[in-house]
Amino acid sequence: MTDTTTTPAYSETPEEREFELRASIGSYWTGGRLFIGMFTFLLASEAFAYFYLRSSNSGQLWRPRNVTAPTGIGWSIYAVVLVSSVLVIYGQWRMRRGSVIDWEVAGWTAVLGGLVALGLQIWQLTQLPFYPGSSGYASCFIGWAVMNIMMLFGATFWIETVLARSLRLRKVAADDGPVQLGGSPQAQIFRANVSACTYFWGFVAVASTLFWVMFYLI
Amino acid sequence: MTISAERESEVAYPDPTPPHAGGIQGWTSRPGWLSQHLGTAIVGAVAGYLIGHWLGNVIASGYNYVANSGVNAIANTGGLLLGALGWLIGIGALNYPLAKMVGMEPAPEQETTSWTRYFRYTADHKVVGLQYVIGVLLFLFTGGLLAMAIRTELLSPTSHVFGPGTYISIVSEHGTMMMMMATSAVVGPLGNWLVPIMIGARRTAFPRIEAFSFWIFSAGYLVILTALPYGGFPTGWTGYAPLQTQASGGMMSYLVGFALIGSGMMAAGFNLAVTIVNYRAPGMTWSRVPIFVWSILATCALLTLATPTLVAAGLFGILDHTAQTAFYVNEHGGSSYLWENLFWFFGHPEVYIMALPGFGIVGEILPVFTRKPLFAYKVAAAGMVGVALLSFFVWQHHLFQSGINPDMRPLFMLTTELISIPTGFIFLVGMGTLYKAKIRFEVPMLFALALFFNFLIGGVTGVFLSDVPVNVTVHGGFFVLSHFHYTIMGGLIFALFGGLYFWLPKMTGKTMNKKLGQIHFWMMFIFFNLTFFPMFIIGLLGQPRRVFEYQQNLQALNDFSSVSAFILGSSFLVFIANFAWSIFIKPTPAPPNPWNSLGLEWQTASPVPYYNFERIPVVLTDPYRYGEEGAPPVADLGEELVGAGAGPRAGTSTGETSATSAE
Amino acid sequence: MTDTAPTPSAHQPAGPPSAEPRHFWRMFAIWIVLSAILDPLFYFLVGPHVPPGTMTSSAAENQLDFNILFVIALPVILAVWVYLGYSIIMWRASRKDAPEPVGGEAARTNLRVQTAWITVTSVIVLFLAGFGTYELIQNYGAGGGQGPNPIWKPTASHILPVQVIGQQWKFTYRYPTYGGFETQQLILPADTTIAFHVTSLDVIHSFWAYQLSIKADANPQVDNVAYTTTRQLGRFTVRCSELCGLWHGAMYNFGQVVPKAQFDSWARQTELTTAANTRLLPPFAWTYVPDANGAGGGYYNNTVDPYSPSEVYGARQPAS
Ligand code: HEM
Ligand SMILES: [Cu+2]
Ligand SMILES: [Cu+2]
Repeated sequence: MTDTTTTPAYSETPEEREFELRASIGSYWTGGRLFIGMFTFLLASEAFAYFYLRSSNSGQLWRPRNVTAPTGIGWSIYAVVLVSSVLVIYGQWRMRRGSVIDWEVAGWTAVLGGLVALGLQIWQLTQLPFYPGSSGYASCFIGWAVMNIMMLFGATFWIETVLARSLRLRKVAADDGPVQLGGSPQAQIFRANVSACTYFWGFVAVASTLFWVMFYLI
Repeated sequence: MTISAERESEVAYPDPTPPHAGGIQGWTSRPGWLSQHLGTAIVGAVAGYLIGHWLGNVIASGYNYVANSGVNAIANTGGLLLGALGWLIGIGALNYPLAKMVGMEPAPEQETTSWTRYFRYTADHKVVGLQYVIGVLLFLFTGGLLAMAIRTELLSPTSHVFGPGTYISIVSEHGTMMMMMATSAVVGPLGNWLVPIMIGARRTAFPRIEAFSFWIFSAGYLVILTALPYGGFPTGWTGYAPLQTQASGGMMSYLVGFALIGSGMMAAGFNLAVTIVNYRAPGMTWSRVPIFVWSILATCALLTLATPTLVAAGLFGILDHTAQTAFYVNEHGGSSYLWENLFWFFGHPEVYIMALPGFGIVGEILPVFTRKPLFAYKVAAAGMVGVALLSFFVWQHHLFQSGINPDMRPLFMLTTELISIPTGFIFLVGMGTLYKAKIRFEVPMLFALALFFNFLIGGVTGVFLSDVPVNVTVHGGFFVLSHFHYTIMGGLIFALFGGLYFWLPKMTGKTMNKKLGQIHFWMMFIFFNLTFFPMFIIGLLGQPRRVFEYQQNLQALNDFSSVSAFILGSSFLVFIANFAWSIFIKPTPAPPNPWNSLGLEWQTASPVPYYNFERIPVVLTDPYRYGEEGAPPVADLGEELVGAGAGPRAGTSTGETSATSAE
Repeated sequence: MTDTAPTPSAHQPAGPPSAEPRHFWRMFAIWIVLSAILDPLFYFLVGPHVPPGTMTSSAAENQLDFNILFVIALPVILAVWVYLGYSIIMWRASRKDAPEPVGGEAARTNLRVQTAWITVTSVIVLFLAGFGTYELIQNYGAGGGQGPNPIWKPTASHILPVQVIGQQWKFTYRYPTYGGFETQQLILPADTTIAFHVTSLDVIHSFWAYQLSIKADANPQVDNVAYTTTRQLGRFTVRCSELCGLWHGAMYNFGQVVPKAQFDSWARQTELTTAANTRLLPPFAWTYVPDANGAGGGYYNNTVDPYSPSEVYGARQPAS
């Protein structure tokens, strides 16, 4: 298809730039929440499987002899994830109070935490005292492990990209105070992204808690 | 909370660069055939497949389904997943996520009118829309060929064209392909192309996620095709365990394919939902949003929230086959009911994913060809939202005879009957709009009217199905089959073709041939009904679905249906001929607004510029003010305001945005 | 390509309002006449022949249900069709006296019409839901599968239990009150309330005794119960109505409802002639669990605790 008509090149008036900026920030807001919603339904399906198999207990094979996934590793994963989430949330709180470097340090620690948790989760899969198909609990545990890997990977990737963006932003002409806190469109979008990412980490903490209770406590 | 605080603050713009490009080093793809395109995607897919398959065999230490076949579930899954990954890498879907890890911004895409853009990973929603047009049609016609095979086998009750294994594979492949295609049939092509323009946006919120949705959708198409060389799968589109657990070969293509298509559905729904919420032009209040956009918004809610359940169910199935878990294995603490519940918890919202966009299309077509405003617009919008909500609470009507929660049947009977109230609103809208109208029977209008005829039958038979006593006779038989073909094909696919005839002139700048369009319509309409109406009777007379042998006395009806189906199938050849002729071989340029529509999408320049609108329009009214003297134009397109920050636009801009998205 | 499309502003009334025909009453008249003719025609001529017939109590009730639904649905369909047909004929743009459409508020909403629409559709569907529930309950599940613990049980003093075992790719039947013999012939006594206990040995099947109006999914390890009372003698068809693999399409056989005495003698005789066979079968149970190793060939009740790697995975797999 050869369209040869010349159309005016893209240009923006100040109002339009303002509009696009608002829309962009709003998209991070809406998108972040919607993403949490999608993950909620994904994890809810896992939780449904857990409670469904638990209550139907077919062949008395929901959880024979009360088998449990390796507790030490499980608790460590949970602890690391929790600490990382708290750091991310705390970091954002610090950033809002003007300390970008605090956020960056907290964030990179969280990246490390996320990677450690991922590593532990994968290692745990090699240490199971049961066969995947030996019980309902065992199956659900494998399902959760896979979803947890997806969730932790997503959260770690997200915060890493925001941190990398923050480093680049720094190179952009900084006049007074940290660029990240300035009024430039990039900085505003950046902060919207940080906020959405922080919400997701909060969600990760809540989800990890629920599944930790389900698999290790009850 | 932080954001709203930021919103209220006054912002100064020190640098004049657009928000997405300045300052930070941008990542750009190289132009020309050296860069990534369909060809590199294919190379990537093949390489990924081979690596994955080999890796899977290593993991499975050479275990085979069949001695020396070199095939096992892990190798299959590995091949398909890495194949899809290779496809995405090859097309360039991973470039930006990787560039992002070192903090880069996407550079603005190079505007191009070269035809090669249709073979690339692009941030232009109009290109993605047209890619989807071809993708969806390819999907539809492949599935259609399989349907012809089914009807050939059913010509005779006892003598067979195919062996039972081949036949069951064909049936399963047909159902699965069609359901996969239908999830994106309208949202993909028309949703992506039209929605941003209809709401006066210059872009979508997440253009790369949108492009991702198309390329993973096409990967899903290839993956489900691999089921055939793998020997097919015997479960139909519903994939019930334990048959699923028992099956091998193509079963993995079904599970992986649905997971991929599911990811595409989520991505497409996510992007469009966020776009609709945030990128509505100034003045585009919720009561001015075109009804098609409402339908897509409701659909997106279902796409994003219901589909994760499908992906989870598919994941469990994949794990059952590869990691040897026992989610669906009764003997090992699992439950085959688990699949049925998860599948239909997704499956019923999915049904409305396949209905609502069709309603939206006819809602757009009717006012144009009746020259009347859309009747009961608010009821229609509320109905769509209501349907979307209710559709999460009816799934067990697919399981009335399964023995799952039998005492809940009255409840699910009630919710299912209730959902037909908001579903029926589309008839209120349609009939009200036709009242004292001036109807022009252009091709799109014919398809829109046909939807009312077909969907009436589909909907009413749905009420029959939801009555548990009647369900005893009709469940699992041709009656159900006919019901959902009347709703999906008679509804969604008719609407899709109506929409294509309606909007293709704008999308491609070429006019479709009217005569051929009419021939296509009448063939499709008449033979659709002649194919599927007898199936209600066949079902009532006792023929179950997915069988290759049936009672002798049903042969006449089956043959009638088969022959009609062949003609129905050939009606699509007329469409293909029309499409090829009018758009590629002998294109006739289309006028900018051939139907004389008031819709915003028709007001912008033709061909639509890369950024859709020269200026972001200020919407002044809804697009349905036909037959009204002195009605204002739908929007102020503001061409005359280039450079001047004054006029009616100045105040509206900020006021409107903060009103819609403040939290 | 655009034929004379009226511009939105070219609006003028077609004539004095009194000359305007009363469209609503015209359509109403056509609709009422058609409904008044077609509804009784269907109910009295077609109705008695509607599947699944009247061979059992559930069949008769389900036939009645279908007919009632149809009698309500037909006027609804006719209403839409009459309206569509009328508009297509009366309000086409090519007709000279077609009115010029009027836009504005009046053409956009009409509170009365909308309220009436919502009220009528709500009343219809709520009535249908209530009616369906009533029929379902007073009809003991209407012949559909009620799961392992049915809550709507028939009150008859004598209920004949028949177990239906779905397996790839046939149905077999066990009669627990006759020593649990297993047969491929489904013979039932007339005028008797029957409890079908439907289960499966492998994948999900669905037991569909068409003329009896019984449909219940056969799930492995689930005892899915469905009730009906036989009324007429005769043959009936049994088909599998849930896709169960390769030969699903050929999974059917025929059963027979015979007089009570004849059934009794058949059952006693079969019990005797198959006694040797019955002894080899697993003892009668409501569900059967395949042996964990699958190699033994037998089906055992689920009483052992098979959990332990060697028990579950079978240390002694057949060499492959
Ligand atoms: C008036 C609204 C509707 C009602 C009351 C309704 C009711 C039902 C019921 C009760 C069933 C289960 C039948 C059975 O298996 O026994 C069913 C099946 C089905 N319906 Fe609908 N339906 C409605 C609208 C739709 C729409 C709009 C679509 C799609 C666009 C649709 C697609 C399907 C499909 C695909 C199935 C069968 C799935 C399968 O078994 O493979 N229905 N419907
Ligand atoms: Cu449904
Ligand atoms: Cu079957």
